[in-house]
Amino acid sequence: MYLAVSLDIALANGQALTFSDLAGFARQAEAAGLDMIVLDDSAPHSAASSSPFEATTLVAALATMTEKIGLVATASTVAHQPYNLARRFASLDIISHGRAGWNATMAQAPREAANFSRPDGFSAEDFRRRSEEYIGIVQGLWQGWDADALLFDRDSGRFHDPEKMHLLDHKGEFFSVRGPLNVARSPQDTPVLVLSGLTEGDLDIAARTADVILLDERPAAENKARHDDFKRRVSACGREPDAVKVLTDISLTADSISGLAGRLEEEFRLRGCDGFNIRLPAQLSVFDDFIDRVLPELRRRGLFRERYRGTTLRSHLGLAGGGEQ
Amino acid sequence: MTRQMKLGAFLWATGHHIAAWRHPKADVTAGIDIDHYIQLARTAEAAKFDMVFCEDAAGLREANVAIASQTSRSIGFEPISLLSALAVQTSRIGLVSTASTSYNEPYGLARTFLSLDQLSGGRAGWNLVTSASPIEAANFGSTGLKPHADRYERAREFAKVVTGLWHGESFRGHDGQSFSVRDPLDLPRSPQGAPVMVQAGASDVGRDLAARTADVVFTAAQTFEEAKAFYDDLKSRMATYGREPDDIKIMPGVAPVVAETEAEAREKFEELQELIPDDVGVALLSGYLSISDLWRYPIDGPLPELPESEGMKSRQALVIEQSRRDGLSIRQLARHFAGARGHWRIAGTAVQIADELQARFEGGAADGFNVMPAYFPGELDAFATLVVPELQRRGLFRKEYEGATLREHLGLKRPG
Repeated sequence: MYLAVSLDIALANGQALTFSDLAGFARQAEAAGLDMIVLDDSAPHSAASSSPFEATTLVAALATMTEKIGLVATASTVAHQPYNLARRFASLDIISHGRAGWNATMAQAPREAANFSRPDGFSAEDFRRRSEEYIGIVQGLWQGWDADALLFDRDSGRFHDPEKMHLLDHKGEFFSVRGPLNVARSPQDTPVLVLSGLTEGDLDIAARTADVILLDERPAAENKARHDDFKRRVSACGREPDAVKVLTDISLTADSISGLAGRLEEEFRLRGCDGFNIRLPAQLSVFDDFIDRVLPELRRRGLFRERYRGTTLRSHLGLAGGGEQ
Repeated sequence: MTRQMKLGAFLWATGHHIAAWRHPKADVTAGIDIDHYIQLARTAEAAKFDMVFCEDAAGLREANVAIASQTSRSIGFEPISLLSALAVQTSRIGLVSTASTSYNEPYGLARTFLSLDQLSGGRAGWNLVTSASPIEAANFGSTGLKPHADRYERAREFAKVVTGLWHGESFRGHDGQSFSVRDPLDLPRSPQGAPVMVQAGASDVGRDLAARTADVVFTAAQTFEEAKAFYDDLKSRMATYGREPDDIKIMPGVAPVVAETEAEAREKFEELQELIPDDVGVALLSGYLSISDLWRYPIDGPLPELPESEGMKSRQALVIEQSRRDGLSIRQLARHFAGARGHWRIAGTAVQIADELQARFEGGAADGFNVMPAYFPGELDAFATLVVPELQRRGLFRKEYEGATLREHLGLKRPG
């Protein structure tokens, strides 16, 4: 199974986490061998927050303090223009040597648009079409440079091969973006696209575009039906069912530690999901219990790998490259 | 204590010289190598520079793909993520990035720079640009580049909102011509009061905006007279906005090539100039002049008559002025500008370079300099090990950091 750990940096008990707290947490998660950390971003939720950091800047900083673990930042399609967001994440992916991911939420945050010169926000239908167009642009921009485009040939004076740089030339309902991106292809091909906040109407978009989806926790039988339905949608798009990993959110509490390994095993074996996104409470010490008590048990049962096998987030998640090269 | 100069290390991939990437002592993979940048930032910090500075464009810098492919400038790091990484790999040096008022929203930009400021313990700065390139415009809609005046109108409102947001709880929302913002930022107040505001626009409206809002101004001036005229003009505009002349540090760009002897320095520079292909030089010059068909004119002839541009007005005037003054052909101008990008270029020994910097600094033409090494890491190392000690020996530059934040390094007031 795949294991992500998710931290709402704004939550931390009303007390701001320092960067060194967060770096310590990231190294702890890396030492435990988890696939990735998903960093929520506070702005969409409310004006009251205790987080001193915005998620993409935090991921850049954490990338220099870690070596293996995937680092996924939440970033909103309202707060950034698609070209800028694509650049930021492509750059994070190079800084981290291929460990970056973008968590795009399909749920519109009610307060956010009003801070971005859109006091009325978007209708649900517009927001969905806009999000889909936006994701397409970002993924298209990420593929603007072929993996072998950079030549670095000093003698001939050819820095890159112009044939291997591609314009996007996107003209759509909401955006017009010519491209190409001015950031090179990353060591993992393209950043990992994580989609969250999905409702029924978003599932086909996710099936077409996502590498990972995060779903809320439901009773086991419901999870299985939902998982099967989603994988059918993935197949219908001409993708391998395994090309998108479904992670179910698990809210970790001090009381839920005992018996958790068994619960996760049952759900995983039922094929209710491909893994879990462990959502940490404000009390971060519960994470110690997860690492000391739950993780060894999952390993003993052969459900989670002993160590990292590759160096990129795509390799941790068993994902192929992000698109045609 | 005597007044000391401020120094910025202007980082740019393989180097500021357009052919830097072809130089054997440049790191050719700089645009995809974070360790390269960490090393540069640490070198600049060990030399006690006030800040590292990153320029930016949200798009390719050259429309002609054949020409672009002969330079290293089509790919690189996005600067805010780059500086966020550098923030936790350094401890004292300031971190300044360019970001556009045309292709961002003030709430998002204010929040991102404040986060960089938090990560660095109060060392962040924002270089405001309005983005003059139609290549960038095409990545943000189909309507093309907005006129100069409209961009600055938007920039003025943008800067006002950002400053208001950085000032914290007193922010009461904004509902204006281009932007509306409801809430204050959801991040704690900056460790230095507010990130440092930097500007580089030198046109008339650009100067007014700087006089009103900037803490630092970068500028391009080749001669002492140009530098002095700009300096005096900008400082004289500040009283209108109730500011003291010392509230802005004016830091012209300088592109030094330093060596043990003057002959060696000239040789080093010529070696670089010979690596510039003519078509690349002409294309770069076309960019400064905001015209696309300069290549149609005979390369050994003079500049044609040009219409006033909607792009970078001030830079265009500078190029035209120089071509007339020195009677330069297109090829000569192209090489000249390709070599220093319109900035002040000096090749010489550490003593000679220190003399030149001292003359502008003490002559009232600069509060400091934004140093643009020809190639990285070699020429930053050379400046740090040869020129900086000479400036320190003369008492013109600090030997140790006195403060913790960028505002403290620059001797700027903390905003209330």
